[in-house]
Amino acid sequence: MKRKFKIFRYDPEKDRKPYYKEYEIEIEDGWTVLDALNYIHWYVDGTLAYRRACRSEICGSCAMRINGKNRLACKTQIKTLGKGTIKIEPLPGLPIIKDMVVDMDPFFRNLEKVKPYFIKYSPLPEEEQLQTPEERDLINEAAMCILCGACTTSCPSFWANPDYLGPAALLKAYRFIFDSRDEGGKERLEIINDRNGLWRCHAIFNCTEACPKDINITYYIKKLQNLAVNNQF
Amino acid sequence: MIGSKSLVKRNKGAMAWFLQRLTAIYLFVFLIAHFVIMHFVGSGEVTYGTVAPRLSSPLWKAGDLLFLIFALYHGINGLWQVLEDYIRSRGLRLFLYSLLLTLAVILFTVGAVTIFSVKA
Repeated sequence: MKRKFKIFRYDPEKDRKPYYKEYEIEIEDGWTVLDALNYIHWYVDGTLAYRRACRSEICGSCAMRINGKNRLACKTQIKTLGKGTIKIEPLPGLPIIKDMVVDMDPFFRNLEKVKPYFIKYSPLPEEEQLQTPEERDLINEAAMCILCGACTTSCPSFWANPDYLGPAALLKAYRFIFDSRDEGGKERLEIINDRNGLWRCHAIFNCTEACPKDINITYYIKKLQNLAVNNQF
Repeated sequence: MIGSKSLVKRNKGAMAWFLQRLTAIYLFVFLIAHFVIMHFVGSGEVTYGTVAPRLSSPLWKAGDLLFLIFALYHGINGLWQVLEDYIRSRGLRLFLYSLLLTLAVILFTVGAVTIFSVKA
């Protein structure tokens, strides 16, 4: 079956302006968008740039905008995209390095701010620290995040203001603040309780819709807002 | 901290977030009460004769005054949240913030005069 792809192209060193280029290729049953991109890159146009690694939706490298929605190319079956031309663009809201390759630095700088690692002040235990199933349930879903950036780059608050921490960083903060083994909750809450942190979220659910791991990110941001308000008064 | 450009020091947004929700609850309840009282209780006739006695009672005046304050806070704060998203220059922010505050004061004055001047 032949399918048409309309792909965003931009090489800042050569092109004055971004443009779209169309490719029509023969696809096989069961192909994902990443398979199609690989085919184009290997056999049709070697200049096409995009990120990929695991091709099994766990590394988070191939997040891009497919038919107007942020998704993982490796998770998106071409069959599910209807009959028309498939439009492929880079994640919005980040500087473009080339084609679908965006500069993820702003994203990871925001992540760093929330201290995305275990903090322990009491002496380290001799053996691994156990959690009860209830304790684990609190963070289980939030810990599934693969840091692909689909959520943060779908957020209009982030587009308008790159200083806004964004859903991914806030979700990471939640993941540690609500972890029974972590002791840095207070300092993390202090960091995210900021006009460019928690309170920039206006709950429009773009992040939740974009998340390829189906994490209900908005829900966890609301939990953090509740915690912050309860701590305040 | 996270490079906050807040105009008011120590104003981190938690209070505004909380009050936005608190006022929303009042506005919602007040709206329902308004509908019920205006359309389902009494004759349904809206004339000065039917409305003025209600509005002149101190309890209604208090409720209306609270509504005025909460609606203004809710609206102005909501607008400010949106503006803060998109406007990042400090000067323009200060200008718009003052504009909103002025608007709030004017609207409050007009509303308060209306509420207090109603007599049966």
